[in-house]
Amino acid sequence: MALADGCRTIWKGRATVAEEGTVCRLRCSLVDLVQICEWLTSNHGYSFAFLVVEGKQPDLRLIYAFLGRAGREWIEIEPSLPTARTHVRSIAAIIPAADWHEREAADLFGIVFEGHPRLGPFVLHEGAKRDVGMTCADFAESFTPSSELERPTVEPMLEAPGAFAMPIGPVFSDVAESVHIRIGSIGEDVSRVALRPFYKYRAVEKRAEGQDIDTALLLAERFSGTAAFAHGLAFCQAIEAITGTSPPPRALLLRTLLAELERVRSHVAAITGICNSTALAVATSVAAILEEELLRLSCTFSGHRYFFGCLRPGGLRSDMEDTLCHDLGRAVSGIAARLDRLERMLRQSSSFLDRLEEMGVVSEETADLLGLVGPVARASGIRRDMRELFPYAAYTAYRPEVPIGREGDCYARLRVLFREASASAALIGAVCHDLPAGPVNTTDPQPISGSATGIVEAPLGAAFHWVHLGIDGRVRRLRITSPSFANWRGFQSAAEGFAFQDFPIILASFAISNAESDR
Amino acid sequence: MITGLVLLAIFFCCTAVGIVVAWLVPKHAIPSALAYSGAICSAVLIGAGAIGLFSDTQVTAVVWRFAPFGAISVGTSPFQSLFILITGAVGLPVSIFSTNYLTHYAHRYNLRYFALLYHSFLAAMIGVLIAHDVLSFLFSWEAMSVLAYLLVIFENDSAPAAHAGLTMLAMSEIGLILAIGALLLLANSAGSTAFAAIQVTAAGLGPGLHLAVFLLSFVGFGVKAGLVPLNSWLPLAHPVAPTNVSALLSAVMVNLGIYGIVLVNLVLMPPTDRGPGVIVLVAGAITALLGILYATIQADLKRLLAHSTIENMGIITAMIGAAMVFQAAGQSVAADLAILAALYHLLNHSLYKALLFAGAGAIQNATGTRDLDRLGGLIHRMSWTAVLFLGGVMAISALPPFNGFISEWLSLQTILRAVVLASKPTRLVFALSGAVLALTAGLAITCFVKVFALGFLGLPRTERAASAREAPRATRWAMGLLAATCLILGALPTYVIPVLDQAVRSISGSSAAAALVPPFFAPDRLPPAFVADFRAIGAEIGRHLLPGRGLVILLRGGASNPVVFAISPSYGVAVFMILLGLLAVGVRLRSGRQRVERKIPWSGGIGRLIPGLTYNASAFANPVRVVFRSLLRPKLTEEAIENIPVHFRPALRRSWTETHVVDRLLLQPALAGIELLARTLRRMHIGAVNVYATYVLGALLVAFVIWAGSR
Amino acid sequence: MSRWVLEGLRTGIKSTRYPNAPEGAAGISPGRPASRVIAAQAQSPCPTDALGAANGMSIVDYRKCVHCQRCKDVEPAIVDWQQDYEWAAKGDAPGIAGELNRQFQRSLHIRFVDAGACGACMSEARQLNNPYYNMHRLGFFFTPTPRNADVLMVTGPVTQAMWWPLLDTYAAIPPPKRVLAVGVCAISGGVFGRNPAVAGGAAEAIPIDVAVPGCPPPPLAILHGLLVLVRRKPPHPLTSGRQPTLEPAT
Repeated sequence: MALADGCRTIWKGRATVAEEGTVCRLRCSLVDLVQICEWLTSNHGYSFAFLVVEGKQPDLRLIYAFLGRAGREWIEIEPSLPTARTHVRSIAAIIPAADWHEREAADLFGIVFEGHPRLGPFVLHEGAKRDVGMTCADFAESFTPSSELERPTVEPMLEAPGAFAMPIGPVFSDVAESVHIRIGSIGEDVSRVALRPFYKYRAVEKRAEGQDIDTALLLAERFSGTAAFAHGLAFCQAIEAITGTSPPPRALLLRTLLAELERVRSHVAAITGICNSTALAVATSVAAILEEELLRLSCTFSGHRYFFGCLRPGGLRSDMEDTLCHDLGRAVSGIAARLDRLERMLRQSSSFLDRLEEMGVVSEETADLLGLVGPVARASGIRRDMRELFPYAAYTAYRPEVPIGREGDCYARLRVLFREASASAALIGAVCHDLPAGPVNTTDPQPISGSATGIVEAPLGAAFHWVHLGIDGRVRRLRITSPSFANWRGFQSAAEGFAFQDFPIILASFAISNAESDR
Repeated sequence: MITGLVLLAIFFCCTAVGIVVAWLVPKHAIPSALAYSGAICSAVLIGAGAIGLFSDTQVTAVVWRFAPFGAISVGTSPFQSLFILITGAVGLPVSIFSTNYLTHYAHRYNLRYFALLYHSFLAAMIGVLIAHDVLSFLFSWEAMSVLAYLLVIFENDSAPAAHAGLTMLAMSEIGLILAIGALLLLANSAGSTAFAAIQVTAAGLGPGLHLAVFLLSFVGFGVKAGLVPLNSWLPLAHPVAPTNVSALLSAVMVNLGIYGIVLVNLVLMPPTDRGPGVIVLVAGAITALLGILYATIQADLKRLLAHSTIENMGIITAMIGAAMVFQAAGQSVAADLAILAALYHLLNHSLYKALLFAGAGAIQNATGTRDLDRLGGLIHRMSWTAVLFLGGVMAISALPPFNGFISEWLSLQTILRAVVLASKPTRLVFALSGAVLALTAGLAITCFVKVFALGFLGLPRTERAASAREAPRATRWAMGLLAATCLILGALPTYVIPVLDQAVRSISGSSAAAALVPPFFAPDRLPPAFVADFRAIGAEIGRHLLPGRGLVILLRGGASNPVVFAISPSYGVAVFMILLGLLAVGVRLRSGRQRVERKIPWSGGIGRLIPGLTYNASAFANPVRVVFRSLLRPKLTEEAIENIPVHFRPALRRSWTETHVVDRLLLQPALAGIELLARTLRRMHIGAVNVYATYVLGALLVAFVIWAGSR
Repeated sequence: MSRWVLEGLRTGIKSTRYPNAPEGAAGISPGRPASRVIAAQAQSPCPTDALGAANGMSIVDYRKCVHCQRCKDVEPAIVDWQQDYEWAAKGDAPGIAGELNRQFQRSLHIRFVDAGACGACMSEARQLNNPYYNMHRLGFFFTPTPRNADVLMVTGPVTQAMWWPLLDTYAAIPPPKRVLAVGVCAISGGVFGRNPAVAGGAAEAIPIDVAVPGCPPPPLAILHGLLVLVRRKPPHPLTSGRQPTLEPAT
């Protein structure tokens, strides 16, 4: 591989390069880490995917994963960390996308990233017990609530005449997920948005440690119910990569079908949210009707409205008949036609467009720097779709259409959602008639150790499940990188510079799932 | 018989006694001594004003014959008595309030000196009001300006006070010079300095002279009233003065500017052309709008009240302008209505502005700050002050049943009276001014909701605000007196209008009350045919059944506009009280069985709300700032981003300055021009003696040429 | 604007007739396992120990069933699959207040709190306002402030960080108030169980009056829970089978 050769020539003597299939593994010393990362991102255009920290003090292992612009380029950098060493140089200054990954690692593992501008209570809020972190030896079945209600500190993030900090949440005013947002504003102009996520931290990664694959799949599926299939699929793909199993063709196509069905439903839910935030009641109801119909379709087709329990490593849990698939195709194309009609009507509502155009702008450079993913990034011009870059399931045969927007405002995001939904519907229509006969699962694999990454394009963006199985076939470490985690930072800069009234609309256009981000 | 002049003589004696007493008593007793003497002087003034207002004859007396210039004469016409009454009515509570307020100054400043200035200031203002000739008028005016300056800079160890005082003095002097010009022109054409003589000859003035006198007097007296574009001193001077002085400045001294304008342009020299009136109207409307706009975006409470004074002076001036236009067009009924509206608003403004300033002083003493962004939650700590301040806020926002409502109503009715005018452009100007005044009223409510809600309600934003103590008794009595007066004047306007009518009659010669408050149910005033009709059907018209001439203000449209506008705040108050009583009874009955639990406000799950997380005053006013951004033009002076380690996001600091639009467009360019001129002229001062000798020679040559040419 | 009015009229009425008539459309509920006669002590495939056996029948503890559908595939069958949706049950802790009285039957205000849920329960709760279920016609409303609320609807297993906000919200609701726990996570912790990060159910923090099991419970089940709360529908037991009692679940 060209990159591997490039690494060997440039970093000769300081780094060892190994190629395993499509993954390039680079081992280097701690000193060269920042330089190599910078070289990767600026010379070769790679972008940061995630950071895995494994083990406990004093034996820690760090892995930095990057993905390339062209297809199937994946590199994992592992700096050699001397025993009992906890200070690592931060790469967040050159790669802002790594900011929150480093903060999370610092909070949960106690690593100090030197040069990082802001380390501190991130996942575990002030007042919480520290042993909830990943380094606690005994994750016993007991719970003690934190000592007292953490006092909200008013960090003066905005100093100006008339400035004050407006707190929102964690309990929002309507049916919404829990997160705390502090808006620094002057009057009603939002000048600063600071987020306090991890109100829903359930320590899923910690709980998965030591579990067998079946139970871990349950956790990987359930931590974010609205993207359950996508995350479950990522986990299964990681397990399949470790064990070397490949699902049968019918299973791959059915997986594609289910994944795209979930994508359509998630996008329609996001569209409902945007219409609701602008208080366009009829459009909200029309979109909500489509969402409910998609949920019912999902239930009829797979047995559960959110596809819980459909997957297993090696294929699917149960088969779906061909006639059922044809019915699904027909129903989805009917829904797609109504979705098109909704989009046409929305495009002609000038009062609706007024509230979306030029609001919440995320420029292409910002999106690239912050490592945004999914429809949000595509609306800002970043073409990054895991179905294209790392085709999985049946995406090699059925190439999906990837719509790109340019302006990066709320309207661009809405348009991308609509077009992706109709592209997914078209894909479902194509796939449901081409199903080959055959089984949908393979036999259970033998317990084997190893690590791999499952890469999936979830409805909200790229999801990475890094799984490390131990000798006994149980999970030693599960690291989940969700698209919402990456996109939250984009929201912070998108909402600044607008007014209070625009805030809920920009939030709805990002369609972030806090459960997915907080794990 | 005790006439007004006798009482005024007593007043001057009391003033002198007050000054002497202040010098004799021990230091700690000066505040109460000042309060007593001030109160007595003000009471005498009230008496003098009341007597002068109700006497039908105008009393004049010659005090001194000053040989080259003419006689120094004083008098109390009803018009002047009204102003004297207002001065006294404001002076009384302000003096009471001074008891506690001045104790804060006892240690650092010389209160004997303050007493001297205070009494002399009162005396000088009365001197202006009773002057019946040009000389005494100007002499008293100058004395008042200088004394006002000395009072403003009383806190002489603060730099803003010095700058503000100097600005005020400089602009006063400019105004005085222009006013001297106007009065001397009038005296010149009349051949005598007595007002009576001027009044006689004023009708014969040519249009050019008329216009010159109008412009000079309008600009000259407009400075004192704080009209745009001459208002730069007012927001500077009123906040830095001690609060009782600020109250006097805002509530009494600015009235003298209006007095001057009315004196010259309505009394001495009645308008013959509607041009000057239109100018006054437009200037008044613009002043009102700019005043309230800048008030809305202020966070400093006293500066806000100073800008609000500008707004109210603008409204009064607009009414005077309307009166001038109507009088020039011969519409005496509409002109009287306009003058009545102006005087009513003047009276109301003096009362509620004094109330608000007293409240501001109480807040400043209790919390140490007058920045609204640092107050909050005071209603729990200072309940009495809050309630009385609320009365002032409701009055200034023109809400019934307080007095501001009725004077605002009369002002807008006056504007609507423009239908009687023949000229279309004038009617258009009236309509636009009316729109501006309506906008002003809306902004006034925004501004004062901000003041009360963010100053008194909510959470205290600083430690000082959380530990504020209730204002002392004297302050509360003073504020209570003013608030009660505001309420009475608002609830019983039909009693007030005939009283003000006396002053109107002395200005314009005809009465407005007959049109506004027709005596219902008083058969001796109704046409006999009307009474006979009623008798014929067997009914009897009740004699004085209802007090106050029916308690209804009626405004009839003209022949082209056969409508009737009627309003009765008195009945409104009565109904409101009854409903409130019923509601209270109802609530008490219903909730007798319910128990009340107190919990902390809901904050979304973050626990207790702390003040940094709640709205503050500047934030509340920000939408107004954004809407009028092109007028206000804030300039960003600093924008810094700082990475503070424990914060989640980089911190941002921004600050901006706003210069008043008048300063920006007029004052600063003018000052820059003067400075440029001075710098150019400075080049003449080279320092070499031979150059100076050349200058002298040059001047001699020029003088020679002129002398030769005039031969 | 008229365009939207016409569109609304064109779309027609979609509301379900429930609770006046049972709803029979496809896909409204995933269904759940029901008791069945089983031959021998079969091995339970249930990852959350929801399956038990007693008196020759399989017993399902709905407090723990997370709809993983693993028991569906077992041969021979150990459960029957029941396509119903009326799942709400009354809480059984001592000292709870039970249903609300008649005043609330057609006017109930609900305050929703997400105490760490995965998002599926919240999505189902959001569907309650769509034209298919339209809970407004039954007099149920979501309210933005707890001061106006009668019912606190909790989802999620109560994380560390949401412990105090949940208690705050509960305390901020004036009496009479009730708590509706939606989803298995709020009842017993679901797949997350009980560990230092997660309390294992809302019952640890506040008393639960009515619980709606399911993962996630479909909107009709949540509606049934609300109707149970206002005495318009009877509740169903939290365990399957004809046995009214069960050995206490460990």
